[in-house]
Amino acid sequence: MAEVVKELTRKEKEIRELVRAEIPWEPVGPTPMPGIADLRSWDMRLLKTYKPWYAPFCDLCCLCTYGKCDLSQGRRGACGLDIATQQARMILLACLMGCSAHAAHGGHILEYLIEKYGADKKIDMGTYIELEAPNIRTVTGLKPETLGDLKTVIEYVYKEITHLLDSTHFGQEGSYLDYESKALHASMLDHVGMEVADIAQIVGFDFPTSVADTPLVDMGWASVDESKPVILLVGHNPATSTTIIDYLRENGLYDKVEVAGICCTALETTRYSDRAKIVGPLSRQLFYVRTGIADVIVTDEQCIRTDMPIEGDKVGSRVIATLDKAMYGLEDATDWDTEEIVKRMVEDKKHFAILNTKKAAEVAAKVALQVAPQRRKRWITEEEAIELAKKCTNCGMCERVCPNLFSIGDGIVQVAKRNFDLIKEQFNQCIGCGKCEQECPNKVPIFKIMQVAASKETWKIRAGRGAVMDTEIRNVGAPITLGTIPGVLAFVGCSNYPDIDDVADMVYEFARRKYIVTLTGCAAMVAGMKKFENGKTVYELFPPEFDAGGVLNVGSCVSNAHISGAAIKIANIFAALPLRANYEVMADYVLNRVGACGIAWGAMSQKAASIGTGFNRLGIPVLLGPHSSKYRRLYLSRKEDDDWTVMDARKREIVDSGEPSPEHIAYVCETKEKAMVMIPKLCIRKNDTPQGRSIKLNHYISLYKKYMGGGLPEDVHLFIRRDADIPLVYKKEVRAYLKEIDWQPKEPVGLPTLIGTYPTKVPLEAVIH
Amino acid sequence: MAVVPFHRVNVLTGIKASRIIEDPVQCADLILKARRPLLVLGAKLIEWSVDGKLALEYALDIARAARIPACGTAHVKGKMVELGVSPDSVYDAVEIVNALKDPDWRGVKKEGNHDLVIFLGVRSDLEEQCLSVLKHFAYKHLRTMTLDKYYFPHANYSLPNFKKDEQWRGFLEELIANLRKER
Repeated sequence: MAEVVKELTRKEKEIRELVRAEIPWEPVGPTPMPGIADLRSWDMRLLKTYKPWYAPFCDLCCLCTYGKCDLSQGRRGACGLDIATQQARMILLACLMGCSAHAAHGGHILEYLIEKYGADKKIDMGTYIELEAPNIRTVTGLKPETLGDLKTVIEYVYKEITHLLDSTHFGQEGSYLDYESKALHASMLDHVGMEVADIAQIVGFDFPTSVADTPLVDMGWASVDESKPVILLVGHNPATSTTIIDYLRENGLYDKVEVAGICCTALETTRYSDRAKIVGPLSRQLFYVRTGIADVIVTDEQCIRTDMPIEGDKVGSRVIATLDKAMYGLEDATDWDTEEIVKRMVEDKKHFAILNTKKAAEVAAKVALQVAPQRRKRWITEEEAIELAKKCTNCGMCERVCPNLFSIGDGIVQVAKRNFDLIKEQFNQCIGCGKCEQECPNKVPIFKIMQVAASKETWKIRAGRGAVMDTEIRNVGAPITLGTIPGVLAFVGCSNYPDIDDVADMVYEFARRKYIVTLTGCAAMVAGMKKFENGKTVYELFPPEFDAGGVLNVGSCVSNAHISGAAIKIANIFAALPLRANYEVMADYVLNRVGACGIAWGAMSQKAASIGTGFNRLGIPVLLGPHSSKYRRLYLSRKEDDDWTVMDARKREIVDSGEPSPEHIAYVCETKEKAMVMIPKLCIRKNDTPQGRSIKLNHYISLYKKYMGGGLPEDVHLFIRRDADIPLVYKKEVRAYLKEIDWQPKEPVGLPTLIGTYPTKVPLEAVIH
Repeated sequence: MAVVPFHRVNVLTGIKASRIIEDPVQCADLILKARRPLLVLGAKLIEWSVDGKLALEYALDIARAARIPACGTAHVKGKMVELGVSPDSVYDAVEIVNALKDPDWRGVKKEGNHDLVIFLGVRSDLEEQCLSVLKHFAYKHLRTMTLDKYYFPHANYSLPNFKKDEQWRGFLEELIANLRKER
């Protein structure tokens, strides 16, 4: 057949220019800077096995004035949309919110740093990281060398977001599968945007890189010295927080002022200064703000209480909003004289928006120093709490509005009886939404009473280390793909539900079992908020390397890109598959051969939706906690009925593996105990060697026995290909079971891939290494 | 059934809501009329107890009285085994719902899909999502019921919000007695 030479379109030429295609560090793959439809066939193949599971928000669509339209029982809206497509549209919107939050964060940081250092500032990720931007290189085909290159990348992301958002308009997309493909696209872009943001931060703020053993930093409100002026940072963007530290250092004030943070800004700030303190995760925000310990609250972006100035007023804290995304209706004092702003904040108790980081930093420091001596800060006593608790009639209204389904009223009445045990337990479950207090007909100040329940303990957490090093990947690539390291786990996202100890318990269990455990964001914080043997947290008990049994705090939300990046690095560095503009090949490799699993146990934000969905497109399953069913879309298979056909690339034959691995890619577990059983199963891959499979099944069976009342998992036979796969310790029992069900051995798939099983431009040769 | 406003396009704000079942006799009738009912047991059943009796034991009494197969979700199986009962099937809540929405699924007994699924003890945020799935994607072949202490609007049949555990216990005990009687 004559070779068809395709003429490049103007758009393709433009993309090749943008990604500097002429520089041959690797051949440019089939999808540089992909548009909406370019990876659609990969998505459709994923969605064929992992079908969307929708729990619609509502029977109605209320998004245009043609309706409201009732979409229940097979009805379509005035535009023709059905309920599944409407739900997928809402999912896309959620993923776009998440993606745009990170991309805009990255865009802001880039603008800030380019202003400071120029667009030509080199990207240097340290001695042990040559593959500096695996997501960017894989998705766009560009090898970024400077901050200016990152700007090219983020502009591509912005453009795609616009097209994707456009598709949610009235009278556009009409297929739920296509909306899912778009959600997967948005979420893949999210990982690109996150990578831009964190590379820029590492380069611009000199955050740790090419190092595993980052400092152990203090966490918990007891670590904050309340006798000093306290500046509390809330949000995600470190531009202002790092400038505050610079200001304090330059003016000899760092010993005189406490800088503490909540949520990801706290993590970022400890990457800049190991003397900064982490108050805790998002769930502690309202609680801590209401203690009034903070003299100045500095907000930046994402996951901040939107009523922060109102809360500040209640306790006399002054609020400075530093980013245009969240200005709370405050007067913009950016162009004012610094001393005038300080005077108004100190004397008139005013809050302001200050969009200049240097000015915001100076004002924060000066206001904190001046107002702290005037303010009376203290936690309430047990006697005071007992008196306040006496107002509670335990009417149950608080329980009705509790998203985490417990009755704080039960705890409050116990406090009135001088018993603090229950409320201490409840404080650990509290997600800090404040709805209970708002609903209370007797105006019981629940959060204030909770001060007596709050543990005054401090904990140690390792400062975020950034990307996994290339050298680490070279060491573990083989054991991960062979299965002898049983899995790479990523505990990500918010941490609120159902119990704050859950994440630490899971990390402890799997690190002991020699899984590699990576963490980011609030999940990284709560993992450190429980002490195990010898009073040590998981960060003190386990090594910080990306190796069997390691526990790594990778960093903040945007550092999630380093986890997806590590999976890509395994395909590129270990398996030597080219990654440049070669997303489909990378994702296929990860899905079939890298035993990784994300755990978003307490996820609640839209960013968590896009982070998780981005992992899904790359072939990484994500397990969610029960509350996260509120995202209302999962990707589930039906193991007994679905098509588990793959291509054996070695034999060039399509084979029915019969093996549901991974079984689901977006899944909800009802309890921590069940999650402990599900996680090892979701790390099983068709590529496992007999030794690796036997190790993985050993964990699956032993955890099943521990948490499910003994016996063998009902589906264990589906994961046994030959007798050699059976773990030695369970050989007798498993063999007896297999005999009982007339199990027959099957040939392991030599080189499993989905390439060749669906229409794609990628040739089979591309996955053979 | 919720009241649907006359000018529904302009006024409709609600959802199709479940029918509230306050009479245990009526509830028993609905269960016994089903050809292939299924009981889905959630992890709250091993946390909740009423007057010292574990909620799971009430659920197992219902299964026995009406001869309904039970599906243990989460890690309920462990407690069932402790109580000397083997679940007829083990699925997580989202998995069993994923199967139930397929009209061609053969059911936990491999005899055909179920025509009534009864939820009990799945935590409310998750149970509500499960009921939403079935309401929208299984309404042609499946009815849903919940026997939890609180009202679930996405079910076809739901108990009301019981103010006291004793009222709920009373309902469940009468239901069990009626199931035994009418079987």
